[in-house]
Amino acid sequence: MVYILGGFQTDFARNWTKEGKHISAMIREAVDGCLAATGVAPQQIDVGHVGNFAAELYAMQGHLGAFLVDVDPAFSGLPTGRHEAACASGSIALLAASAEIEAGRYDCALVVGVEQMKTVSPAIGGDYLGTAAWYELEAKGVEFPFPKLFGKLGDEYDRRYGLKDEHLAHIAAVNYGNAKRNPRAQTRTWYMSEAHACETSKYNSVIGGRIKISDCSQVTDGAVAVILASEKFAHSYAKQRGTKVEELAKIEGWGHRTAPLRFDDKVAESANDPYVLPHTRRAILDAFKRAGIADCWALSGIETHDCFTTSEYMAIDHFGLTAPGQSWRAIEEKVIDFDGKLPINPSGGLIGAGHPVGATGVRQLLDASLQVTGRAGNYQVPDARRFATLNIGGSGTTSCVFIVGR
Amino acid sequence: MVKPIRNVVVLGANGAMGSGSGAVFAAAGIPTVFLARTREKAEAGRERAESMVKSNAISRFITTGTYEEDLERAVAAADLVFEAVAEDLETKRTFFSRVDRARKLDAIIATVSSGLSIAAMCAGQSESFQRHFLGIHFFNPPTVIVGCELIAHAGTDPAVTAYVRELLAGTLGREVIETADTPAFAGNRVGFKVLNEVAQLAEEHGVAFMDQLVGPHSGRAMPPLVTVDFVGWDVHKAIVDNLYANTKDEAHEAFKLPAYMQRGIDAGRLGNKTKAGFFKKDESKNVMVLDPTRDEYRLVAEVAAPLPAFVEQMKAAIHVGRYERAMDAFCTAEGKEADLLRRVVLGYISYGLGRVGEVVQHARDIDRIMGFGFNWAPPSVLADAIGTRRTITLLEQAKLAVPRVLVEAAEKNTHLFNEPEVDRGRFFFAA
Repeated sequence: MVYILGGFQTDFARNWTKEGKHISAMIREAVDGCLAATGVAPQQIDVGHVGNFAAELYAMQGHLGAFLVDVDPAFSGLPTGRHEAACASGSIALLAASAEIEAGRYDCALVVGVEQMKTVSPAIGGDYLGTAAWYELEAKGVEFPFPKLFGKLGDEYDRRYGLKDEHLAHIAAVNYGNAKRNPRAQTRTWYMSEAHACETSKYNSVIGGRIKISDCSQVTDGAVAVILASEKFAHSYAKQRGTKVEELAKIEGWGHRTAPLRFDDKVAESANDPYVLPHTRRAILDAFKRAGIADCWALSGIETHDCFTTSEYMAIDHFGLTAPGQSWRAIEEKVIDFDGKLPINPSGGLIGAGHPVGATGVRQLLDASLQVTGRAGNYQVPDARRFATLNIGGSGTTSCVFIVGR
Repeated sequence: MVKPIRNVVVLGANGAMGSGSGAVFAAAGIPTVFLARTREKAEAGRERAESMVKSNAISRFITTGTYEEDLERAVAAADLVFEAVAEDLETKRTFFSRVDRARKLDAIIATVSSGLSIAAMCAGQSESFQRHFLGIHFFNPPTVIVGCELIAHAGTDPAVTAYVRELLAGTLGREVIETADTPAFAGNRVGFKVLNEVAQLAEEHGVAFMDQLVGPHSGRAMPPLVTVDFVGWDVHKAIVDNLYANTKDEAHEAFKLPAYMQRGIDAGRLGNKTKAGFFKKDESKNVMVLDPTRDEYRLVAEVAAPLPAFVEQMKAAIHVGRYERAMDAFCTAEGKEADLLRRVVLGYISYGLGRVGEVVQHARDIDRIMGFGFNWAPPSVLADAIGTRRTITLLEQAKLAVPRVLVEAAEKNTHLFNEPEVDRGRFFFAA
């Protein structure tokens, strides 16, 4: 069993380029904050993993694992590495770290997710994000390829089951509304309403296909660090703090699947499947099985990948809140709202809290662990005991799921 | 009892503060009436509000009207009247008299004034008006800057103050700092002390030099004299004149408007709004800088001097997130440039934290208004990064007042800045 001792998220509203900062400053602040939040001494860290999508493009910097060594003299010689799977990079780093702990190699792992995205204009950034798709075939020469790809996801739902934009608008409004409770959410001071999300205007223009500005997650600078620990480490950690290991968050299950990179190939493959993205569904079911839970109703909440409103629409039926194609029911019945039966993204998600690509998976796991230990502050879901995360790289390509419980 | 705010009237809704504040109310879904001298101006305010929150959707909560035709009717229905007319006591009093005659007896009246006496503004109105009157000082633009000051005067009903505090912090998502009804309240008192001191020093050391020396690396998003150009020299003068006339403390001389600034104002140089202040652009868009001794502009490129080595060290350290190391370079650097920067920054720490007990209750109030209103490093963040004991030593060496809260933190060996939800790193700039 792998335990989550805690962590730290930088304020996702910050613009580190405007602050004149290098990506290493983001890593430093996240790690310093994580050590302070958990009370773990740097000498106790055995290994470091960094999740990051494209620092080579955004910041002309690779080899991010090595920046961990720079944070504290005690990290001298620390084994480190960097992991990439587009927007799922953070979860891949977490999977690697937890596998090492389960294999008994290490007892205490530091996992950092980081992305600095405001170094370039939105158009150039959109092009960089295109490398998370099959660039030559799907993104080259295309302005903002990803909104168009996730617009196609909405179109596929529409074709198979019917899809109303007002349901997508509700997803946007819920995420922005939740973000207002989260002191580290990028959009916490922004204006949003369902009425605004429904209208198409100069302030809410179409980005691609059926995707408007209000349907999109944000361009975000952010870093998140968490500490994962073995059962042995967690026991002594809890004892030192006068608490019980049962009070700590732990990873109860995980799922990890990869679909074909090209969006059209995914859709062709799933033509006869009730689920539009069956590999994502399998990752969720794998995680449920490993956690020993029957279905989504064993969860107190979900932190899902809502890079666009259509991806959250997909997550709703893929998690099993409704039958395939009927996500709109959960939206109309307000199941996913903050005070709903199964709240989705109490943090605000990628739309409200922000989406620093390589950090998102780690942010989701941190939020899940805060929820199940009652430390999520103003966005705490009452009595939360078990949360799921779903982190997706590309157009539904790499799907990573964690079940976090206490 | 104070009843919920269901209807707001904004007076002066065409101006920057009026339209911006109106946007904040409407964005919270509160029906808001934008009043101005003409309907066209009120409509322009509404459009500006839309552009500030980037949505047409807030307009379903906005109606517009004129003072002449709509004020009495609108005020009679209002739960909150928000005044944002010209920063002139007599103008405000004239409006307040009309509001007093038309208002419901339990309607709250707030002024957005950035520093006039709250008590003086409502003097002469009905006792009910005075009990329901207070200051809500938003900073420009209110849709972006969440820090705001809440100022009750001696006659404000505490229940009204408590209700408005909850409205601001809860419904409107503000960082609320309660201040005493003292000149310029908290943020402008501390902030304009620094801005005017730098303007004074610019006469001897040059505008470009001072702005570079006291630049972002010293804990602010925008250099000080660029800030004064942004604020407007006339507004700057109104604030420091008020402080010079009505405060008597260790910073008194720092509030004296430099003579060259008065000459500039007389000549119509008011900063960005007149396209000339400390800085302006020539026909080829080259940036030019004022020579305060000659009232002439020269190309910045001609007067630019290399940054002192210790400033480069500070910026390099901040760039990679080593804020303590940056402040160590600040503390240990030798030379007149370092002495000048320390004078300004240590003076800010001393004067800012020194207002605790007089203008605000707690150090965190000063810290939050400087952090969330000015986007400057809060004094406590700087003192923590320097080290509280070391800060005291430096203040003593500079013969600056040592604030009591600083001594207490040093004695307890604790940090002054304890805001777990705030990244202190966001206040250090290397840009």
